[in-house]
Amino acid sequence: MKKIFSKITVAMLSFSILLFVNSCQKKLIEKPFTVFTTDYLKTPAGLQTSVVALYSGMRYMYGPNGALNTTNSGTDEWSLGDQGASSGLDCGAYNLNSSNGDILTPWNRSFNNINLANAVIEFAPDVQMDAAAKATIIAEAHFFRAFYYFILVQQFGAVPLDLGSGDFAFNQKPFQGFNRLVPDLLKKNYQLIIDDFTYATQNLPTKRPANGGFYAYKSAAYHLLAKAYLFRGYSSVKQTGDFKSAWDAAKYVIDNQAALGTALLTDYADIHKEGNDYNAEILYSVERIQGSPFDNETNDVSNEFSGKANMSCNWYNANYQNNVSINGAFPCDRVIQYMRPLRQLCPNPWLYDSAFADKINDSRYDNTFRVVWLATNNNAAASGINTGDTAYYLVPSKAYGDSLRALGTKKYRIIDPTQFYLVSRPAIQLYPSLKKYDDTKRAVPNDASGRPYVVSKLSEVYLLAAEAAILDGRPGDALTLVKVLRKRAAYRASLASNPTLLAQREAVMTNITNSDMTVDFIMTERSRELCGESLRWPDLACRNLLVEYVKNRNRNLVAAPKVQTFHNLRPIPQSQLNAMNDPDKAKYQNPGY
Amino acid sequence: MPNKKFTLPFFRRIMVNAVALSAALLLQFLFFTQTLSAQDLTVKGKVTGDAGAPIAGASVILKGTDKGTTTDAAGNFSISAPKGAVLIISAISYTTKEVRITSAAVSVQLELADKSLGEVVVVGYGTQRKKDVTGAVVSVGEKALREVPVANLQQALQGRAAGLEVQRVGTKPGAGAVIRIRGERTISGSNDPLIILDGIPYEGGTLNDINPDEVASVDILKDASATAIYGSRGSNGVILITTKKGKPGEAKLSYNGYYGITKVSRRYDVFNAQEYVAMRDLGNNASAPYMAEELVARTKGVSTDWQDLMYQNGFVTDHNLSVSGGSTGGSTFSLGGGYYKETTVLPGQDFGRFTLRATIDTKVGKKLKVGLNTMNSLSLTNGSQFNNPMFPIVTLSPLMAPYDSAGNIILSPTGNTTDRVSQYSPLFLKNNNGQWIDKVRRLRTFNTLYAEYQIITGLKYRLNVGLDYRQQENDQFQKSDKALFPSYFRPKKGNTASVNNAEGWGYTLENILTYDKTIGKHKFTVTGLYSFQEDHSHNTSVSKDSIDEDFIQFYNLGQANASNSSKPVVSGSEVFYALESYMMRVNYGFNDKYLVTLTGRIDGSSRLAPGNKYKQYPAASFGWNISNEKFMQKFTFLDNLKLRFGFGQTSNQSVRPYESLGLVSPYNYNGYSSPSVPGGTIRYNYGPTTIVTGYNLVTLPNANLDWEYTKTINAGLDFSFLNSRITGSFEWYKSKTNKILYGIVLPVTSGVNGEYTTNIGDMENKGLEFTISTVNVKLNNGFTWSTDLNLFGNRNKLLKLTDGFTQNIPRQLFLGHPLSAIYDYNKLGIWQLNEAAEAARFGNQPGDIKLEDVNGDGKIDPNNDQKIIGSGQAKIQGGLTNRFTFKGFDFSFVMYARFGGLLVSQLHQPFANYTNLTDGVRNAIKTNYWTPTNPTNDFPIANFTSRLRPITTDGSTLGYYDASFIKMRSINLGYTFTPAVLSKLRMQNFRAYIAIQNPFVLYSPYMQIGGVDPEATGTGNQGIQNPGNLSSRALTIGLSTPPTRSFNVGFNVTF
Repeated sequence: MKKIFSKITVAMLSFSILLFVNSCQKKLIEKPFTVFTTDYLKTPAGLQTSVVALYSGMRYMYGPNGALNTTNSGTDEWSLGDQGASSGLDCGAYNLNSSNGDILTPWNRSFNNINLANAVIEFAPDVQMDAAAKATIIAEAHFFRAFYYFILVQQFGAVPLDLGSGDFAFNQKPFQGFNRLVPDLLKKNYQLIIDDFTYATQNLPTKRPANGGFYAYKSAAYHLLAKAYLFRGYSSVKQTGDFKSAWDAAKYVIDNQAALGTALLTDYADIHKEGNDYNAEILYSVERIQGSPFDNETNDVSNEFSGKANMSCNWYNANYQNNVSINGAFPCDRVIQYMRPLRQLCPNPWLYDSAFADKINDSRYDNTFRVVWLATNNNAAASGINTGDTAYYLVPSKAYGDSLRALGTKKYRIIDPTQFYLVSRPAIQLYPSLKKYDDTKRAVPNDASGRPYVVSKLSEVYLLAAEAAILDGRPGDALTLVKVLRKRAAYRASLASNPTLLAQREAVMTNITNSDMTVDFIMTERSRELCGESLRWPDLACRNLLVEYVKNRNRNLVAAPKVQTFHNLRPIPQSQLNAMNDPDKAKYQNPGY
Repeated sequence: MPNKKFTLPFFRRIMVNAVALSAALLLQFLFFTQTLSAQDLTVKGKVTGDAGAPIAGASVILKGTDKGTTTDAAGNFSISAPKGAVLIISAISYTTKEVRITSAAVSVQLELADKSLGEVVVVGYGTQRKKDVTGAVVSVGEKALREVPVANLQQALQGRAAGLEVQRVGTKPGAGAVIRIRGERTISGSNDPLIILDGIPYEGGTLNDINPDEVASVDILKDASATAIYGSRGSNGVILITTKKGKPGEAKLSYNGYYGITKVSRRYDVFNAQEYVAMRDLGNNASAPYMAEELVARTKGVSTDWQDLMYQNGFVTDHNLSVSGGSTGGSTFSLGGGYYKETTVLPGQDFGRFTLRATIDTKVGKKLKVGLNTMNSLSLTNGSQFNNPMFPIVTLSPLMAPYDSAGNIILSPTGNTTDRVSQYSPLFLKNNNGQWIDKVRRLRTFNTLYAEYQIITGLKYRLNVGLDYRQQENDQFQKSDKALFPSYFRPKKGNTASVNNAEGWGYTLENILTYDKTIGKHKFTVTGLYSFQEDHSHNTSVSKDSIDEDFIQFYNLGQANASNSSKPVVSGSEVFYALESYMMRVNYGFNDKYLVTLTGRIDGSSRLAPGNKYKQYPAASFGWNISNEKFMQKFTFLDNLKLRFGFGQTSNQSVRPYESLGLVSPYNYNGYSSPSVPGGTIRYNYGPTTIVTGYNLVTLPNANLDWEYTKTINAGLDFSFLNSRITGSFEWYKSKTNKILYGIVLPVTSGVNGEYTTNIGDMENKGLEFTISTVNVKLNNGFTWSTDLNLFGNRNKLLKLTDGFTQNIPRQLFLGHPLSAIYDYNKLGIWQLNEAAEAARFGNQPGDIKLEDVNGDGKIDPNNDQKIIGSGQAKIQGGLTNRFTFKGFDFSFVMYARFGGLLVSQLHQPFANYTNLTDGVRNAIKTNYWTPTNPTNDFPIANFTSRLRPITTDGSTLGYYDASFIKMRSINLGYTFTPAVLSKLRMQNFRAYIAIQNPFVLYSPYMQIGGVDPEATGTGNQGIQNPGNLSSRALTIGLSTPPTRSFNVGFNVTF
């Protein structure tokens, strides 16, 4: 039958050709104006714009909901605020399963950028362009490939190096497998991360100009390289000399600050201060522009809870607005300076009671948390609180609160640490609210932040070096470095004119010895220096401290009893398993899930 | 494409002739004068039809001349003619008769044509007598199309033809509908049938552009043997639309129009104040305490019904005026204009359409016939883009008063603080006052020109030229919020506006050769075609906020603050495609008994990769007119019995232009942002001033992309009994589609975030269709009762996925199940108090949703406990029309029904629309929720979404209901004035009618539980959070303008 039809159609064809001389076949070739094919990646412009995409992809990793939850929630520092408590699958409750939405942020946003970095590294050598510019592009591609992999390994353990076309190769095949069951994969992952970061330390531009934008510079690569060595040293695939290598990488930055364009600031308060986003202590930030949602890739900056919107300014805020009344009145409106009270993350008592036990000599508590809210309306005028007056004060201790109350003259509401919100203590939804991410240049209080998100700081390099030294058996080296930070922490602008008091406080802060130099001490110092900066969860998981610290310090009703060793890794997302063509999905999942 | 040297003068000649002729014709009809020759008789006559009733408007033509006239309302005519001449008398629905003039008085009785047999069916690139048709073709005539007063053709076709499924996808004015012929054959491509308007493909457009009043008939080609002539576009069936043409005879002026009032037919059932308090006290009260105003309202017993305050009456009106006529020489014309406007029950939503049309057909000499048809429409839709205030109307607190003591609208009457920032009172919408513009303006001009030349007897060449241009502008503006002049759409924000301009144009050239030959009992028709079609479209879209002054609106987006936060977002796109085709068809008939149709087509498309462009489509079909056999002659009650059988292959063009090329794009591929959305582009900044754009790989190239091919076999039986009092047909078909295309969702570890479109998988559709028309009662006093009934069922099944999946969850594809399968947890009920211990084992508490533990392992998990819980596929559906006539009265009602299948009510899925959260933060759709004292199994405890549960997506199981319904679509009562009255009024015809559209729903399980309408309001996820198991093709019910009913009064007048 088919043959007959073919004959008929052939007959038809010849018949038609006889009749119509002109052919329109040329018109059947597609020549699109706006559609770019993968050939574009082999042009100088294509390489350049690919690298931009690599930078921009990091916005998913720092600031959005999923990023904040996977890196902060359910640690010793942070548990769920009253509004975060409702989600049963939240990372903070250790009720995690593969359907959790937060884990999709690191998982879904990494591999396409890794593939793109592979493409850049693969294609760049054959592209005709300025050699120096090309060298930087290749170094940036290595830097970001390692960076994306590093984030994945911290959260999920071993992940594929072969995306479908071989290890480290740009994949253009519609590959439906999941190359996770490769022997020694985690080891290979760490090797790639360390090799790539090492390449970046050698080939990236050296010095960030004062107040310059955050391209990837050598200092950032050294910082991440040090951390990669350190984490590998803690891992099951540790190599001899990892801690020494971590020390070397970190120490290089500490010793070459001027050459690399970095320095510790005098005042801890200035590091995260709004408007000071390009200071010398920061080695690398994921950038955004204040007040420019479109350039920050957010459409609806007030309501977009997905994508690249930086929610950090709203994520940590307590309910200053309509929960704690002053004689029945609510003196604080939702206003730009206090951010949106999203109440997702609330500090554990361990953080404000233990880690920040000293709130006097150590300036960092005051510079980390908002504990005072001023009235923004006259609702509580009957209680003597008018706009601009102090409305709420979260006092440092119960004793301090009691003494204030005893005065009987304070019109504002005094709330002491025994009253701060906890899941077990739900009546008052107020707690010290992290203020590092304040952004007052937003249009409305609900808006997401337009501030860059700090990733690498010189201070963390000090702490990494100190930790590496301890693990390498040289507590004395650690002590020197830790003292630098602790001395700086005593500084407050208000003490600049009182050198005696400052010196006293510095002395208290630096009154530590070699015997204090333990990993536990460093971990607490990290909380004081770095709390809330999207570091803590991997910090605990990669050091295998998660279960111990969460059980002892996390005050969420669910997290402490539930957390187990297998929680050191996140589950592989269900969407990944569903999209894979192997019906036996269980063997790809992390154990325990 | 014809050669240029030939084309230009040829066209020019035709054009000049056409223009000259039409001008002459118009003049002739406008100043109609008749001259008498001395030797002629003045012949007076009367034309009657069945039972001696006069036939108005019959054409009377003097044979061999172009002289002629038409009968008046009483059937009388007068013409001057020489004795012995022959008059040709014809009228619609009657057989034409020739009468020789023997005296000055002539009386002619015409016989009703045997409609089902004499009827001509449009079959694509030509027409056929219905009795010669061998494929599965169904026709919907003018009468049926006109029966229900509707906005568009889709609605007119709903329930009118077996195998044709029309499902509404919106309740706002101007909303479209989804048309499916015999089910679905593609997953990722379009399942829309090919639409051919007067022979030319009607591309890139909505049927809303067509004024249903301009359509004379719609023919639907269903099986492959009928659609193979359209080759690569035939798979989804073909709808051939024929517009009205003039008829020879005196020019006629017709007016058809109606006006109607629209009212809400069913409101959303929400909690009243008392029920709201009860629900809220159970809900998440701690984090959303009552507002101070609410506490006061509670003591005063306030209960605000926001629906009452917002709904108003809408109207619908339609006016069509046309002039048509023609000379006896074969030149005809038809000119018309129409105006349609529809508003609805919510402020700011309406749809209006202006149409203009002209058709001219004329002969040039004896052998050449030329014609031009131009259809132009301008439509304006308001309120279709962002104006959907249903959410506040349904969820605002009934404890909040709408107006303050001074009678002013309360700015933000929400029952919680969170919404105060962003939700203003919807009452502001009742007075636009420059607040917003939400307008879509669409212009379309669709023109066809043809020339038909008879080369020798039986051999005709026809050139069809189609020229199509469409332009659409979407304008949006939302004014800035000011203290004394609030802006509903921009609370606490500045203004914003956007303009999207899209245009498309294309042409079609068709060269058709037809050869008819009869040798003895053998009858042949051979049709050959070469055609070429090209289509271009392009759009530019700009949006901007911080416009200097609100009164600028969207008219100049340059008069705006150009600061960082309010940069204009500019985007655009371009699409081109072309199709080159060769087709040949042979129809052969032997003695009117045995019929054969053979078809072959070759299509070459720009969308496929080079080397892969040309594809072949063969088909064959056979017919046997059993009733023409000798042995059947004794069955005198039988008028016609025909068996048909056909098979063939077609495909659909579901590869999108450029899809085979792969894509590197600057757009964020995160399923949220899109090119036209602010922030949708990959950007980065180095420092606060250096802003750059990034590109990433989105989709992979695939040079092997191919169409989806459907092989169909079809068997049909047509019957007609008792002088056509009973006519109808059965169809059985089975089709298999292979090389199904779909976008594979690759694991993200492949490094590609976009889908990979490829040919993969097979699917099957099979079904039965039954159509019957009966004249049930026909009395001598003129009373008749006739019925049209169609019933059909289609079974769709996915047979194979070649990538190793038995179920592809991201794409919601399941082997052995229909495409519309719904995969989710199975809700068994609600955990009751006495089941607390068992519930606890699953991590649940009494009041939670009880899900089925499918694998019985004692825990509910996403891998093992989700299953197919049903599908959207109807078991059987159909339409029923009953008509009664008595004297001048006619009465009819039209019903439409679907049985079986599950619908997805996103209204009832807590996280879809937030209309069923019952967490105490907002009001909600009223549901029978569980409490310790109300141990229902319907809905869980009010605050269940804030409880800790192992499966947090369990709320989606609350949205599945039986989709069955029987709807009364319209009830119509008309009266046609008697000829006596008409002649006094100097009219040829005058019918007045009243009609109720969508009067009531006879049966719907969904409405029994509180749904407002069992028909979909859209496709895919309409909610805020996607439950994840809804493909973009799923028909879903979201929160939309409530269903309405309209009461219409109308007139059809012909002068």
